[in-house]
Amino acid sequence: MTAETAVRTGRSAREDIPPERGRGAGLPAAGFLTPFLLLYVLFIIGPALYGLLMSFFDTSAVKPGLSSFAGLGNYAEALQSADFWSSLWHTIWFTILTTPPLIIVAFGLALLADRVKHGRWFFRLAFFAPYILPSAVVALIWIWLYTPGLGLLETGLGKLGITAPAWLGDPDWAMPSLALTTLWWTLGFNFVLYLAGLQEINRDLYEAASMDGASPWQQIRSITIPMLGRTTTLVAVLQVIASLKVFDQMYLMTSGGPNFATRSILQYVYDEGFTNFRIGYASAVSMLFFLVVLGVSAVWFALIRRQEKEV
Amino acid sequence: MTLTRRALLGGAAATAALGLTGCAGLTPGRRGGGSLDYWNLFGGGDGVRMTQMLDTFRAANRGVDLDAVTLAWGNPYYTKLSLATLGEKPPDVAVAHLTRMKTMVQAGLVEELLPEDLARHGLTADKFAPRPWQAGLVDGRTYAIPLDTHPFVMFYNTDICGKAGLLDPSGALAPLDTPEKFTDALRKAKDITKAYGGVVAVTNETATPWRIYQSLYSQLGGEMLADQGRKVVIDDDRAGRVLTFLQSLTRSGLAPPSIDYQGAIATFANGQAGFYFQGEWEISTFQTAKLPFSMTLFPNVFGGGRYAVQADSHTLLIPRQPDRDPERIDRALLFIRSMLDQSRTWAEGGHVPAWLPFRDSADYKAMTPQSNYATAADAAVYDPEGWYSGSGSNFEIVTGSIIASVMAGQQSPASAIAQIRDKLTNLATTAPPV
Amino acid sequence: MSIETRVKLFNRICAGVLIAFALLWLMPLLWALDTALKPNAETTRTTWLIDDPTLGAFSRTLRETDILRWFGSSLFIATLTAVGAVLTGSLAAYALSRLRFRHRNLVFWFVLAGIMIPGQVLIVPQFREMDSFGLLNTFWAVSLPQIPTAIAVFIFKQFFDGLPRELEEVARMDGAGFLRIYRRIIMPLARPAVAAVAIFTFVGSWNDLLWPLLVLSNPDIMTVPVGLATVQGSFGIRYADTMASAILGAIPLVAVFLLFQRNIVEGIAGTGLKG
Repeated sequence: MTAETAVRTGRSAREDIPPERGRGAGLPAAGFLTPFLLLYVLFIIGPALYGLLMSFFDTSAVKPGLSSFAGLGNYAEALQSADFWSSLWHTIWFTILTTPPLIIVAFGLALLADRVKHGRWFFRLAFFAPYILPSAVVALIWIWLYTPGLGLLETGLGKLGITAPAWLGDPDWAMPSLALTTLWWTLGFNFVLYLAGLQEINRDLYEAASMDGASPWQQIRSITIPMLGRTTTLVAVLQVIASLKVFDQMYLMTSGGPNFATRSILQYVYDEGFTNFRIGYASAVSMLFFLVVLGVSAVWFALIRRQEKEV
Repeated sequence: MTLTRRALLGGAAATAALGLTGCAGLTPGRRGGGSLDYWNLFGGGDGVRMTQMLDTFRAANRGVDLDAVTLAWGNPYYTKLSLATLGEKPPDVAVAHLTRMKTMVQAGLVEELLPEDLARHGLTADKFAPRPWQAGLVDGRTYAIPLDTHPFVMFYNTDICGKAGLLDPSGALAPLDTPEKFTDALRKAKDITKAYGGVVAVTNETATPWRIYQSLYSQLGGEMLADQGRKVVIDDDRAGRVLTFLQSLTRSGLAPPSIDYQGAIATFANGQAGFYFQGEWEISTFQTAKLPFSMTLFPNVFGGGRYAVQADSHTLLIPRQPDRDPERIDRALLFIRSMLDQSRTWAEGGHVPAWLPFRDSADYKAMTPQSNYATAADAAVYDPEGWYSGSGSNFEIVTGSIIASVMAGQQSPASAIAQIRDKLTNLATTAPPV
Repeated sequence: MSIETRVKLFNRICAGVLIAFALLWLMPLLWALDTALKPNAETTRTTWLIDDPTLGAFSRTLRETDILRWFGSSLFIATLTAVGAVLTGSLAAYALSRLRFRHRNLVFWFVLAGIMIPGQVLIVPQFREMDSFGLLNTFWAVSLPQIPTAIAVFIFKQFFDGLPRELEEVARMDGAGFLRIYRRIIMPLARPAVAAVAIFTFVGSWNDLLWPLLVLSNPDIMTVPVGLATVQGSFGIRYADTMASAILGAIPLVAVFLLFQRNIVEGIAGTGLKG
């Protein structure tokens, strides 16, 4: 079924409903909407507003009520705090380290897989299986791979004559190591998105191009890459937002260390709110982080909008 | 009302999960009857010994169904313990560092241990080493029972020190009670090892640099915080002397400037250093490695007549119970008493027992090298009071990482002190959440 | 060289590179399995060869940890969340897609706004809320906030919008109510959307760490990720045991993946869902 028929049938159906009957659906509509809206208001919208409220108070996890009013004090403290900025930077640095490889490698592998006729299930399994694993499992496996002296990576690189870095133990290498783990873990998602995008490209285009004597490489450059523009935007948006929300890998593999070098902004919220009991302050940091995610999403959605207009 | 509803929900959930998995014994929530949930944070050799002690308890108390859980050390442990208590599903007994326990008490997360309850189990003040007992009181009340004191100590390789002429005829190390004697001993050891004199973990470390700094700084009588952590009172002169001294050890090549925790252990175990500075708990590591070594008090480098050394204590406490049940408390105290009665097993791991019936016994005095440094417990300097202070806390992480950078030669003592003051002031001026 | 042989050669190279990458990607999992099949003492030698293969690490893990209990918790929570998300999401989407009522657009945008709020931002107030409801350390605390997902409503609505209305019209003529139409006509047709939402909610809930880490502090009812992340099972060099617990923790989801591979892949391709 194409989108076009859907739109057409939809329109005709709407015209069939007499206006009176339409208005009469208010009560059943309320019935249908209530379960969702109740939970939604109770557990999403309500907490969002409550979080905003708490961010203006010195609320403590171990005291009842909101405690004393802090005005914009929590926000001022966060914006002046080196820890806030450094953990925000760690999150952004992680995003910078993960997004390009997760797009480029996924794209490359999907391109390759698209040309292979047999055993596609095997590649899907190999690349996608890690994505479905819990972060805790991924962390256990990779901590073992990174173990100094015994890990497979150090030994393997040693055989190639390369001296491995201290991976998670070195403040400069810890974040790239986490990014490598994340590449392995989540690549499959982008791979599948690209594979789907590739399958939508009309094969006749390639036929015509190879008639004209275009080499496979030229075909990729002039047909595949432009045709996958929208998929790439989608992959990039989802990837950036997912990377900004990073918490698990650091919490599990480095506890934010060494010496806080990999503490993400979400772990900062966790530490301040639940280790230091300062949930008012943690709420303010959450709100600031929310603004960052919102800003990034807005930029990307603006890009998509522009792209859609161009198409 | 809420309680019954929650029980009902939990019960329904359990039944459903049971039906789905067919796995027996899935009963969420705290178990009644003769059960006892115990949380600890012991890994390594401590973990092995704790398991032994738990088995002994189980064998002696067949009626008590003991469920012990070991959680990851440091901040995550205390976060989990606090959240469990807030969530009204605390364990019946938990281990906590003395320096972390106080913040939990102020947050109202710990049950007070009433004298009459304690007396029933023979847990009276006169049975405990005075220093950890006194340090653990909050407003004169008891909230936690100290199990031990774990001071920062000095390990030395007896072969190397012998060859370097540092041992007296009885085989004991001559006291290194001035900076000169200390560096001189390290130099002599270095001449033998051809590598380093002493070794202390620096890279990626926060606790170890803090411990060695704090030991020396307290010998000079220095304080870091005052007024429950609301004021930073770091003394530039004294801190400067300590940091300069520490830096001189790595500058002169007597100690490696960049070596991590495991690396420091390996350096000492391989005979590349004559001295190693760490908490006494590493005793098992070197015993297992069959190294010729002994242990003694961390040297009184700056103290003169007064001795001081950084330390903390493991305590056992009862997290706030949602409904104070005398029977549960009694069971918990029975367990705590059993742990104290097994102080011998615990002391094998290097910790100085707080339980005087054992500590004063001939049995303990015969334990070497453990009893060599037993007096450290009486001179123990605990981390300063403050909601952000204590073992593995933000305070230790902040100060420790800056001290480490001085020892690694990455920054001058003066700029480090300024940085410590700056960072601690941020913490000190924050409204305390407890 | 003709174009055809060049293309053939190119394809061969592509396949070669791809296989190399696939093996590289499988390596960590195979290494984990290899380690888990060794006795603990053998794990300090970094080699693929196993002198004395054993399932001892698996049986020790099953015996000494609460991992089976954690499976139960995870299964219950993930199922509850998936069923809840499908039910509430499809009901709401049906109203938004088919029923005419005042402020319909307003409600739709109100729901859509939820997509913009990352759940992680809400952990602090949600924790406080669960505390005041007395729900901490219950399965409900984990599951309830994960049920109302705006994206599920969005997926269902898009799917319903694409369904033809003739059948419903006939049913309306026969006097069927909206609920009956939803149950008898719409939902049976919406199987692919149900599968996508159910599987993704299930997997997302099963794998979630941050939120259950906060609300489940009782080791008896922890989920698999929280249990693995929190409880230290063993002391000393026990890499085989650790890898065995990792593999045991992975098995249920690998099974889900093998069973629903097609739905999962189509679901991603169709909707671009991501944690």
